[in-house]
Formats: sequence, C-alpha cells, structure tokens
Amino acid sequence: MPSADVVVIGAGLAGLTAAIAAAESGARVHVLAKGHAATHWGPGGIDVAGIPAASTPRDGIRLLAGEAGHPYAFLGADVAAALDWIRPHLAAGGVEYVGDLDTPLQLAPTSIGGTRRAAILPAGQAAALSPWAAGERLVICGIAGFKDFWPEAIAASLARARVWDGGNRPASVTPISVVLPGLAGRHNLNALEIARRFDDPAWRTSAIEAMARAIAAAPGSGGRVAVPAVLGIRDHAAVLDAIGGKIPAATFEMPLVPPSVPGMRLYAALRAALIRAGGRVQIGEMIERIDRDGRAVTAVVSAAAARTYTVRAGALVLATGGIAGGGLVAERDGRLLEPLLGLPVEAPAADDWLAVDAFEPAGHPLEKAGIRTDAELRPVDADGTPVFENVRVAGSLLAGQRYIRDRCGDGVALASGWRAARSLSAVPAGRAAAPGSERP
Amino acid sequence: MTIAELIMDASEEAVGYSSDECLKCNVCVTVCPVARVTDLFPGPKYVGPQAQRFRTGHAQPVQVPGAPFMLSPDVTVDYCSGCGWCTSACPAGVKIAEMNSQSRARMKAGKRPKLRDWGLGQTDLVGQVGVLFSPIANWALANRPIRAIMETTVGIHRQAPFPKFGRRTLQSTWKRRQKRRGTTAAPGPDRAVVYFHGCSANYYEQHVADAAVEILRRNGFETIIPEQVCCGLPLISNGIYTDARQKAHRNLDVLAPYARQGYRIIGTSTSCTHTIKAEYREMLDLHDEDATVVANATWDICEFLLDLHEQGKLNTQFGRLDEDLPYHAPCQLRSHGIGLPAMDLFALVPGLRAADMDHDCCGIAGTYGMKKEKYPIGMAVGAPLFEKIKASNAPEAACDSETCRWQIEKATGTRTRHPIEILLDAYRAGDSERLAARGPLAPAGT
Repeated sequence: MPSADVVVIGAGLAGLTAAIAAAESGARVHVLAKGHAATHWGPGGIDVAGIPAASTPRDGIRLLAGEAGHPYAFLGADVAAALDWIRPHLAAGGVEYVGDLDTPLQLAPTSIGGTRRAAILPAGQAAALSPWAAGERLVICGIAGFKDFWPEAIAASLARARVWDGGNRPASVTPISVVLPGLAGRHNLNALEIARRFDDPAWRTSAIEAMARAIAAAPGSGGRVAVPAVLGIRDHAAVLDAIGGKIPAATFEMPLVPPSVPGMRLYAALRAALIRAGGRVQIGEMIERIDRDGRAVTAVVSAAAARTYTVRAGALVLATGGIAGGGLVAERDGRLLEPLLGLPVEAPAADDWLAVDAFEPAGHPLEKAGIRTDAELRPVDADGTPVFENVRVAGSLLAGQRYIRDRCGDGVALASGWRAARSLSAVPAGRAAAPGSERP
Repeated sequence: MTIAELIMDASEEAVGYSSDECLKCNVCVTVCPVARVTDLFPGPKYVGPQAQRFRTGHAQPVQVPGAPFMLSPDVTVDYCSGCGWCTSACPAGVKIAEMNSQSRARMKAGKRPKLRDWGLGQTDLVGQVGVLFSPIANWALANRPIRAIMETTVGIHRQAPFPKFGRRTLQSTWKRRQKRRGTTAAPGPDRAVVYFHGCSANYYEQHVADAAVEILRRNGFETIIPEQVCCGLPLISNGIYTDARQKAHRNLDVLAPYARQGYRIIGTSTSCTHTIKAEYREMLDLHDEDATVVANATWDICEFLLDLHEQGKLNTQFGRLDEDLPYHAPCQLRSHGIGLPAMDLFALVPGLRAADMDHDCCGIAGTYGMKKEKYPIGMAVGAPLFEKIKASNAPEAACDSETCRWQIEKATGTRTRHPIEILLDAYRAGDSERLAARGPLAPAGT
C-alpha cells in the first residue's frame, strides 16, 4: 500500500492545482480521480468572476466577496497569487494565458452564437477579447463536414444586437466553410480528430493555406476570424505561430461542446506540471471508502479488481466537484449528500429545488449547494467547528458559489486549490505523516 | 451458454445497461489510443454506448441485401484494442471497453472465427506445438520469407514481435525438478503460494518463472505449480467466448481448492491475473463460488510483494543497482486498479532510477498489434513510448506484461524485462555486497 503526504481526490482544475502546489512544497502527492471531467468539459479559459456588474475580474471578486457565504469572502485575496503562480506552469506545458485580474471583462462570441463575459483566456482565444473597432468585421470560418460548428447559425445569431447586450459588436458577421485537405466528403469529423491533424506540420501547412484562401475570398474579410477550437493539441503553440504568418487577421478559437480541445490542453499542462513536481495521478479510481481515526483521515480506499486499493493519506484534499462532477449526490427524498466522507452539506430545502426555472437569471438555488468550510478550507459542521483536521475542500464542491451564473468556478478552483496546499504544508510535519508510515 | 443467451443475461445489465449513465461527453474518445492514430476506429463512444441502441438488433432484424439481419451498422468495433482506457477515464462509470468486447463477441457469434483469430486465441495449442518443434518453429518465426507467407496466408504481420519458444514447457521442467527432489507435502498457505504462470512463462519465458520462484523463496514462500491452462484472455480478446469459458472452468477447478485452503495465487502476467480477478466474472459471466474465491485469492506478483512490504515482511536486502530504468505500466495493470506496485518496489532498490514513461499503451494490446491490418496502428500507438525509451539511452527497460515487453523490445531494441527480474538482480547485488563485506580478501573501499 503506497502512502502519500497528501491524497487529492479529483483531477479537475482545483484538484490538480492543489496537487501541484503541495508537491512543490515537498509533499508526496497522489491524485486519485474517477475519470476526466471538469477540464475536458470546460472551455479552457480561467473564469474568475464574469458577472455583468463587474468591469474587471478583480472588481468581480470584490462584488462576489460581498455576497453572503461566497467563497471569495475568504479566498478572494488569493486569486491573484494563485494565478501568478500557475501561469508559468501552464506556459511550460505550451498553454499561455492572456489577461489578468485588471483586464476589462468583454463579451467573447461563442460557438453557439452567444456571448460570454471573459477576461483571462488562452492565447488561442485571446483575439476575441479586444473591443470591436468601428467597422471591424468578423468571419466565422467553419470546416466542411464538422458537425459541432455551424458557421451560418453562429453568424446569424451574432448579427443580433441583443446577443452583445446592445453594446460594442462587429460590423458584419460572415459565415464561410472550408474543405480541409483529405477531409472532403467526410461527414463524421470530431474536434479531436481535426485537432490531431493540426499537430502534423505538413498537414497544417496545407490546411492553413486552404483556410487563408477561403478567408481572403470571403466578402466580409479583413477583420477578425473565428475558427472552431481545433488548432492542435500537443503542438498548439506551433499551430498559432503558423496561422499568425498566413492569415492576415486576428484569429481566435471558439470553444466547442465536449470534448473540449482547449480543456484537454489545460489538463495536459497541469498534469505535466504535477509529474514534474514528483506527483502521481491515477485515473479510473472509484473511491469505496475513506478510513479515519477520530477527526483525521488516514487512508483512501478505492475499488480494484477482486479487492481494494489503499493509499495511506497524511492529509486529504477533496476536489470532487459539485453535482455535475459527482462530488454531491442527490437522493430521491430531496437530500444532498457528500458521498465520500458524509460531510455536512449546505443545500436549499428540497421544496426550493423546483421553485425556479433551471435557467433563471438569478441562478438556480442548487448551484450554491456545497460544503461549508472555515478560512483554512476545513469542512465544518453547522456550528462552524471543523469536522476533520487534515481534510481540505477545494473547487466547485465549496458552498456559496454560483459557478454557472457568476462564472467564478475557475477562480475559486485555483484559489482554493492553492490555499488548500499551503494550509496543509503549514500542518506540523508529525501530523502530516500517517502513523508508522514509511516510503513504500 | 450461447452468445445469444449471453446477450440476454446478467452481463447485459451490468455492462450494457451502464450506457444509461453515458452523458455523451466524449471523454472516452479523448483517451482512446487507437482513435488517436487512425480514422479506422471512430472511438469508443460511437461503437459503445452510442451503438447500444442497436443491441437488440437481432430481435428486430434490419433487412439489407445480402445479409439476413444486422446487429449494428457499425462493424468498426473490431478495431478496439481492448486496452480499457475508456472505462478508466469515463466520469460516469460506463463500462465502455467491456461493452465493446461483448459487441465484438456478438458480431462474431455464429460465424466461424478467422483461422488467424482462432489461432492467436489458442495459445496453449500454439505453445505446445511450438515447444515440441522449438528449433524449427523458432527458425521459421525468424525467417523472413516464411513470415511473409504467414502474413499473406494467415494475416499475422511479418514484423510483429514473436517470442522464442522454450526448449520445454515450464510445466515439464517443474515436474522433472519435483521428481528429482522427491515429492514432499507442500507447506501450508502461510509458507507457500500457488503460481499461475500463464502461457508466456510456460512456453516462452521460463526465466520469468525462475525469477518468481526465487523471489518467493527469498521471502519465505515455497511455490506450488499445479497443472493449468491458458487463462482465456486471448480468446476473449478475439471474441471467442465459448472456448474462453472452457479454459476458465478448467483453471477454476484446479485453483479453487487451493484458494479455499487459503493459498494465494500469484501470477507474473498482469493480463492473466486480471482475467482471473475480473474478466471471468465480468466478461464470461462465471458467477459461481469458485470464480469468486479464486478471484479473491489472486494477486499480481508485484502487488503481492508490495503487500508483504506493507506488513513489514518483505525481504528488502536489495543491493545497489546503479542504472536508469524506463518503466511502462501495461493497460491491464491499470485495469487492476492497484496503482504502480512495480514503481513502489523499485523505489526500495538503492541507486535504481526507475522512471514511469507515463504513456497510455504500447500498441500490442495482447494479440491486437500482431495482426496484419492492425500492426501499423499498434506501432503508431506505441511510437511516443518507443521514442522516450530510446531517448533514455537506458540499457534495459521494465514492464509487467509479456506482449508489451516483446513489442517494446522489438520496436526499441532495448532489452525489456519483468520488474521481478530487476528485483532479482537487486537481491543478487545484495548477496554480493554482503559477501564482499564479510570476505577477508575484499579490497578496501568497495
């Protein structure tokens, strides 16, 4: 049975951030996750606080921190430090981010023809963010045979003023579709398959030439170009370089439905940073139970063929996600449970679950459900007393955030992951090691 | 049980119905090593959970010219290598790889299997004949014209890695040794274990068995090697479930009495041990008490040694091995869900710099990468691993699974060994160190 100073459950942004930070501080870190999810489902940006009332992410943090029970009340100050700390790790994995907490929040057009408020995006999406100059045009460049991106539908929707909240928008939106080399006649392309082709230098050269020709010939060209987020996985930076030299317009990727290629790049960069720091990641681990001794967690037990697999844990970071990620489970009688440790869940009364529209602008009450913690991210009971000493909660499992409505999930994940690791490294060494543990 | 019965049986619920949990998020497609390199396989979601709506196709036949009915319009499921990454990565717990294996079996049900697929599944038969005629067989397998003919006629790729047959089987060697020593009653389950050698150690790699026996002895365990047959995995992989079930029953009949007495069953082939632990029940639907008691008694050897260490019972008198050791964790090991026990054991050896290559699959996937039409796919799947191993310039590499070792060795030219062979080196280095420390003639400073 291996032992780790810190076991992290969950391999999304929060879990991996916590794991990298803990491994860097010298802890032996073991990440166990049921599967891939958060990163592979998300658009790959870092949404800190995309609320309409905020001018910048920093402003958004301030506003959200003032809301009763929002995690930014105690985490808000850590977002900047966590962001500065993670950037070089991501850059080392080939994923550069543009924008910071003081970058004005702008409406970035999306691949379903809507807009989303963003400020910190990967380099490939960054050209979506500058304000539209008078007369500046947008071409939506689709790929023939690719069903997850419909240029005509996107363009028709983005031509409506209300999609842009009546504000600054492109002067025209023109859809085009390009047949890429070797893909003529294909009707079942997926984002991954195209992205992998872009990793091939020879293929991407001819593909980019085909795109450049079609864009130059489009009636609405000369401004910016939006393309589906398929510009390479392993070699994304090289694809961006190649495009920069060929397409004479600011080009940006639009994130797509899952599997999210930008999200996969983010995951790969995080995972690589963790491995460099000496951590271990195991995917496919269904946690069966967590052993405890009084108010301390001692081991994490997952299902294995014919028996169980135990990792002795000096400390535990629970980054299992919210309802979508399986960190919270809804019972038929209307209770929400935290299935691994049975932590007290802060949730709206069951009667309120169905009281509002799921897409209610004010946010669905269930969004705020989660685990209440103290400022050190230790889960607490109704009286505010920590339930476990060596457990930290990170990411969307934290109560009080509306990560869909307020677009604050990535900021909370980064700050809580980072804070959780720092808080655990402050635990005296004798406490962080399991009784009788030794390096296996 | 017939395949048709199998379809309607409990495994349908356990495996097929898990597609109800599918969110269509495509995470499984992102981790599929085969879809990563070829368009011939659209990815596990498309042929798995997405195609489950066709699973009762036999009851509502679709009439098409030339075929009485169709189970699914998509026959590309045969390009699934069975590595199991999709099941591991699924955030919703869908048993995708298992679903695809069953679909393959259904697709092939009622048809006579291809000679090649049948032959690759018959590892016992091939092994016995091969060992019997080993000089000729080994010559033939190394002979280019013969391999070219094999490729054209049978469909086994001419470049596919093939091990050398041993001069005799482990079973016969062991019986001779036992006869020489005279029969003694085996010690109880606290001082002996049962060894499941699998086909590789029986027919090709007796040195792995020798290493296992010696390491077990150094840890206070005698080895019992009962008569046994192929675990059945090559048959399962080739969609021939009925024969696989026969193999399983023969093994369970032999192993269950030992398991009931408390003996642990130790294997050096991660894929065999995984088959016994999981696939007899999950894939072959053997839910009797024998299958459970044997599964619970079965251990991968590195898992077993690490467990001994956990109890403070592992002999850790390892000497220094001053070398870089690239390590590849086979797909089947990941399916065990036991972490990387070999890496944890390597960490106990002074000087040994073992590095997990952190690559999904070497591409061979049992017999998949040996097939003519799949060999290039397998090589492309493993290419990044081969590059990493070559770039390490290490003298040797380690991997728990035999077909992966053959694939890596063939593709990289780097000698690739079972982790326990490395550990045995370390024990022997420890012997030499202690001998040198004791020896009056030992030169100072060594």
